[in-house]
Amino acid sequence: MNEAVRAENLTKFYGELCAVDHISFLVEKGEIFGFLGPNGAGKTTTVRMLTGVSIPTEGTAEILGYDIQRHSVEAKALMGVVPDISNVYNELSAWDNLTFTGRLYSMPKADRENRARELLELFGLFDRRHEKVETYSRGMKRRICIAMALINRSSILFLDEPTSGLDVQSVLAIRKLIRKLNGDGLSIFLTTHNMEEVSQMCDRVAIINKGKIVAVDTPEKLKRTIVSLQSIEVAFEKTTQNIGEDLKGLQNVNEVAKHGDKYRLFTGNPSTVLAELWDYTTANGLKIITLNTLGPNLEDVFVEITGTKPRQGSTERRVGVRRGMGRRRRQN
Amino acid sequence: MSGRRLLREAKVAWAIGEKDIRIYYASPPSLMFGILFPFSMFLSFIIGRNMPITRAIPILIAQTLFFASSSIGPITIPLERRMQTFDRFLSAPVSLWTVLLGKTVAGFIYGMGISIIPMAVSTVFLGSEVTSLTALAAGMILSAFGFAAMGIMFASLPGQGPGQVLMPLNFVRIPLLFVSGIFMPVKDLPFWAQIASMFSPLTHTIELIRLGFGGENFFGSSVNVSVLAIYFAVFVLVGIRFHIINQKRE
Repeated sequence: MNEAVRAENLTKFYGELCAVDHISFLVEKGEIFGFLGPNGAGKTTTVRMLTGVSIPTEGTAEILGYDIQRHSVEAKALMGVVPDISNVYNELSAWDNLTFTGRLYSMPKADRENRARELLELFGLFDRRHEKVETYSRGMKRRICIAMALINRSSILFLDEPTSGLDVQSVLAIRKLIRKLNGDGLSIFLTTHNMEEVSQMCDRVAIINKGKIVAVDTPEKLKRTIVSLQSIEVAFEKTTQNIGEDLKGLQNVNEVAKHGDKYRLFTGNPSTVLAELWDYTTANGLKIITLNTLGPNLEDVFVEITGTKPRQGSTERRVGVRRGMGRRRRQN
Repeated sequence: MSGRRLLREAKVAWAIGEKDIRIYYASPPSLMFGILFPFSMFLSFIIGRNMPITRAIPILIAQTLFFASSSIGPITIPLERRMQTFDRFLSAPVSLWTVLLGKTVAGFIYGMGISIIPMAVSTVFLGSEVTSLTALAAGMILSAFGFAAMGIMFASLPGQGPGQVLMPLNFVRIPLLFVSGIFMPVKDLPFWAQIASMFSPLTHTIELIRLGFGGENFFGSSVNVSVLAIYFAVFVLVGIRFHIINQKRE
């Protein structure tokens, strides 16, 4: 058996409202599986059903072969859960939070104490282990929350928005940790709004919208599904007034947009347009100073599929990247 | 369920109960509804009345057991729901029974711990005499478990704050005081009230405690014990059922 998670027709109704609508998907052992969707799409409801917190209206979910409803104890023993908010006991110290979680997993005293020590050292919190968690920063609480999910040496980790609202340093540290855990063989189910995170970290991604899975594939394959968003960005040493009109006239160009001193030519067939562009510049004595082919990023795919812009945070990040460095180049 | 699994679950239930003791016993709502409330009600009832201490002490013990034991669940569970720490239990490899047993144990110890104080003070310093330790112990232990389970049952009401649970709980708790032979012995109540008092678990608490201190008993200790045991079972079963319904709804 090579499946970490198997969801079959998973469905959740809240009264008349169908929050999750007969979704099915597989997460393979050892992969980082991204779960993307706009607000209210059903992401957290799905995670709650997969982790046994909520009972599905219909359908089944298996964790490493154990049905989460029928063999819940066996299934839950193999998982760690980090919900969207850091659900730590603020009144307890970091040490007590970890050892209490170990007791929930019936770990022997020596084992849970060794594991707690190991995790606190890994997360850089060992020196502050006896302080109440209420004195910790948000990033530190998040780290404790992740450490609590790892206390039982789980085989699969569910992470719901693990880096949301954290400072850059904490975000980078948590991403590095997720990669390390995955490298050690842990399967990861990652729910996030952050497109860059999914793009950089996930082996595969499922996009959920209005309770239904609308796409499941690798990030790169998903990007390739939207050919209409491929484009060529070109800048000339000298421009003339009619250059935009001329470029629109090229055979395989769907649309031309002027961005500062650059023109962006949208096309479904970049290689043919490149040849046409070369002929055009040679014929008109123009000199190209910049030439890039741009592919759609995951955010474009998300917008195209769901018709929804991601949350402000991730949009701003993307705009920042575009302004500062341009979009990711496939070819220069 | 195997003996090994039972032991494992019992240890986890104790871990949950112990954690609740550490976090919630000294919290303001616990102090208010578990200590201040029953003691204030007792004092407002007793001050100005020429009641002998031997009659008053069973009332105080029954009231503190009733309010303290039944307050812990309605305080801890809504708070943990709000902080999503309750979800930790639901995603941990333990049964819902174990989780609620842990919460019940926390309520039981709170009720017992507080009600033992007036009992000890009255027997050591005020001359009260325990004539039937069995009746007293049965009354206190069964009642503390039963009322703790009652609190857990109410804590399954939707809501993310103790107030949303304690308010409806008080709609039940306060009227029960008037039909349970607390302020007036059952034998002096009108017939319809005697019938009503039969169905109040608090009646059987006060009856057993009074019996423990050598007082009179209207329904008989076997009836008292049976009714309290039945209520405990009913509260546990209904509480579990309600929590499962919640999991289906949430």
